[in-house]
Amino acid sequence: MKRIAILSTLLFAAPAFAGAIVLNGAGSTFGYPIYTKWADQYHAAHPDVQINYQGIGSGGGIRQITEKTIDFGATDGPMTDAQLAKGPGKLVHIPTVLGATVPILNVPGVKSLRFTGPLLADIYLGKVAKWNDPEIAKVNPGVKLPDAPITVIHRADGSGTTYSFVDYLSKVSPQWKTKVGVGTSVDWPVGLGGKGSDGVTGLVKQNANSIGYVELIYALQNKIDYAAVKNKAGRYVKGGLASVTAAAAAARMPKDYRVSITDAPGARAYPISTYTWLLVYADNPTPQGKALKQFLLWMLGAGQKDAAALGYAPLPANVRAMVKKTVEQLR
Amino acid sequence: MRSYAARRAVNVVMLSVTAFCAAAALFSLFFVLGYIAWRGLGALSWAFLTRLPKPAGEAGGGIANSIVDSAKLVALAGAIGIPVGVLGGVYLAEFGGGRLGALVRFCADVLNGVPSIVVGLFAYALIVVPMKGFSGLAGSVALAVIMIPIVLRNTEEFVRLVPHALREAGLALGVPRWKVVLRIVIPSAARGIVTGSLLALSRAAGETAPLIFTAFGNRYWDSGFLQPMAALPLTIYTYAISPYDDLHRQAWAAAAVLMIFVLAINATTRLALRTQAMEAR
Repeated sequence: MKRIAILSTLLFAAPAFAGAIVLNGAGSTFGYPIYTKWADQYHAAHPDVQINYQGIGSGGGIRQITEKTIDFGATDGPMTDAQLAKGPGKLVHIPTVLGATVPILNVPGVKSLRFTGPLLADIYLGKVAKWNDPEIAKVNPGVKLPDAPITVIHRADGSGTTYSFVDYLSKVSPQWKTKVGVGTSVDWPVGLGGKGSDGVTGLVKQNANSIGYVELIYALQNKIDYAAVKNKAGRYVKGGLASVTAAAAAARMPKDYRVSITDAPGARAYPISTYTWLLVYADNPTPQGKALKQFLLWMLGAGQKDAAALGYAPLPANVRAMVKKTVEQLR
Repeated sequence: MRSYAARRAVNVVMLSVTAFCAAAALFSLFFVLGYIAWRGLGALSWAFLTRLPKPAGEAGGGIANSIVDSAKLVALAGAIGIPVGVLGGVYLAEFGGGRLGALVRFCADVLNGVPSIVVGLFAYALIVVPMKGFSGLAGSVALAVIMIPIVLRNTEEFVRLVPHALREAGLALGVPRWKVVLRIVIPSAARGIVTGSLLALSRAAGETAPLIFTAFGNRYWDSGFLQPMAALPLTIYTYAISPYDDLHRQAWAAAAVLMIFVLAINATTRLALRTQAMEAR
């Protein structure tokens, strides 16, 4: 009997952190690196708060916050009105950082290609099917392109990366808009599907003459060549801190923060840029809700400094001020 | 009747095919073990086993919480699943001759064949959604559901192996049936029951799918069974699909740790079973 008592104490006793507040969050894999970084830093500064973030994909984040099984969700594609209506309370989008979706390439012997938006749409529609197609050659003068079919790679699962990519294609290609449309997952006319950003990266790495799209950090971490894309002002721009910030500066932020900044005007703006959001309930009078509010305020201040080192762009100053007001109104 | 030479030829061909298949089966086992050992053992270190994870993208960090939580999850799963499985198995072997017994047996076999992700969804709907939160408890319940049919069928087999003469001897001395089962049959089959339970534990220790939407994963030491908990297979899964080389390395190392645990349990049970078989002879 005594042994059982000892065993059960061992099993059920909460270790040293008894009384600590645990905030559980889940969603976007794009935000995973910075959210875990923030969790670590915030825990170091506030040892009584643990933030447990799991990257299960934007779709999963939306689903679980709607079910209230987590304290906050995270997504790179804003929730639709229909999704918001399903929630048991009022959900608020809190922008955290910005990122870029970049076309990644694996074409032997070819480096640093350039694309226009309509050209990317035509490739993903299957209309441009060979690397030496005149359309590609036209925007890449002087580059020796192989006479090889293009292997198109896309995400197989619901993803915020897909959302920003097809949102952009819809803006620049009328045919994409009518034939395929926008969503976290769409009916792809051509191509192979990979699970998660890592799956897409892997498929592109393994298949010569392939093209895919991932968040910038995946291209950087895996040292894969990524292409420049022509923006609205007619310049070829690569995804990066400055070009994403420029895209954000050009956009007008609506009150509910559900904004698309793809195909932004501005000479230096990268055209496939996106905000990424945390999803929280406006009314959450629990200890968790209060701790979450404090964390969000910290994130808008000290936390923003961590963004650049991880390949994200911090929020523009005016947006930061606006979001701070919103967070202060959370109850 | 074909000629002797033709029959011999067929014999040789079939023999080589079966030998080849046996070799292929062995090869894949040793390939998996060897590959994990090769990729994983080198990355093992004391710090890796005793530290908490670092934020994604930073080198270093360990899986101490995953190891401890995995043990806790499996222990609670065993505490729930093994009694149900053992008592159910004893019922089937000793009293379950009728239609109810056949039904229970059939259900246990079906349950054994249910994909583990479905069991995870069951625990998600049963515990996570009503309790408004992912928890180690939900993970343990899911693992227990996976263990029950294994323990149950194993126990039944081992209880059946107890010779009838033993039961008859007890009954002939006027010992009541329940006492015969409790004091003679179960102790005689004890070693088999224990090994069956250990095998079920090792199977549960390696499950990922039922934990994704139940135990959920935790980057810190857990705060009890009502909060999310880490688990080795979950950590391996999360790390393996991340874009970081360092996390891939850690995933291999964690796989090696998990493999050592599971192999140790399996080896112990095989050894125990062999000694029992020898004693029975």
